[in-house]
Amino acid sequence: MRADVLVAIALMAAASYACRAGGYLMMRFVTPTPRTEAWLRAIPVALVGAILGPVAANGGPAEWAGLAAAIVVMRAAGNEFISAFAAIVVVAGWRALAG
Amino acid sequence: MDSSRRLAGVARPPTFSRAGLVTGAVRIVPLLPTVAIYGLAFGISAASRLTFTETVLFSAFVCAGAAQMASLQAWADPVPLAAVTLTTLGMNARYLLLGAALRPWIGALAPAPVYGSLFFLGDSNWALALKERERGLEDAAFLLGSGIVTWATWVATTAIGHAFGAVLRDPARYGLDFVLPAFFASMLAAFVKRAADLVPLLVGAGVAIAFERFAPGPWSLLAGAVAGSATALVRRDAR
Repeated sequence: MRADVLVAIALMAAASYACRAGGYLMMRFVTPTPRTEAWLRAIPVALVGAILGPVAANGGPAEWAGLAAAIVVMRAAGNEFISAFAAIVVVAGWRALAG
Repeated sequence: MDSSRRLAGVARPPTFSRAGLVTGAVRIVPLLPTVAIYGLAFGISAASRLTFTETVLFSAFVCAGAAQMASLQAWADPVPLAAVTLTTLGMNARYLLLGAALRPWIGALAPAPVYGSLFFLGDSNWALALKERERGLEDAAFLLGSGIVTWATWVATTAIGHAFGAVLRDPARYGLDFVLPAFFASMLAAFVKRAADLVPLLVGAGVAIAFERFAPGPWSLLAGAVAGSATALVRRDAR
């Protein structure tokens, strides 16, 4: 086991627990304003965009088709598993055909 | 209604019993397949970067699917500690709101059950517990019971996923290097509820792409998160 990995896990565990307990704790002193709430809800959305943006920019047709498949199937079927599975099949299939 | 409930809660703490614990553990079962799928996906993706023991410890102590997956995207050797910690804070910032919403219910409990239950706080058991409370549930141990079962499912399925991912020679051939992007793309439907949510998404994506051109590495993720989420502040301002 690598020491840096253990430190990373400890830091991330502390960060996770701080978020889980922090909101409850802070309610004693302040209540979140609508603006704070909107900001906190937008962070994960922006993070997902920041993850997928470079994936799309650095990828090729296989990756683009995979991302499109995930979004379209999610809209149609409403199931995360079917959607993600479809995306993986599309990527693997495209790569196999392309060579 | 909320304030009267809060007053009632202050006067008399909610029950916190073994029966409530068991009820929570049973009622969460229909939601476990989704947790298991995410667990398998994370485990498979972690197999190329982490050992089995590291993966199990990771899931047991951090226990946050989206944050763990996002940090894996930024993973390197050595691990960029500041970047993965900030990514975790960003992805889990929504838990601040979930925890805050629990205070009217569990605020009068003793610290030990409260801060123990909060370790197991997740999207699914939080939503289920509050829905049940609307229907008259009083026992606050529901949250802990449902949380422990979710946690155990998460840890076990990431372990199984890792074992599966570790035996595959060429993950890219089966599209398995695409597991994380695929799950994040399908997560979009859950996160993006209104057209307005597309603004932080697209700004986050654009800034991350631009930032990566100048400084490759984990920080493009955070630059996108900061810029994208800041749009929510501006939009609120305009109203």
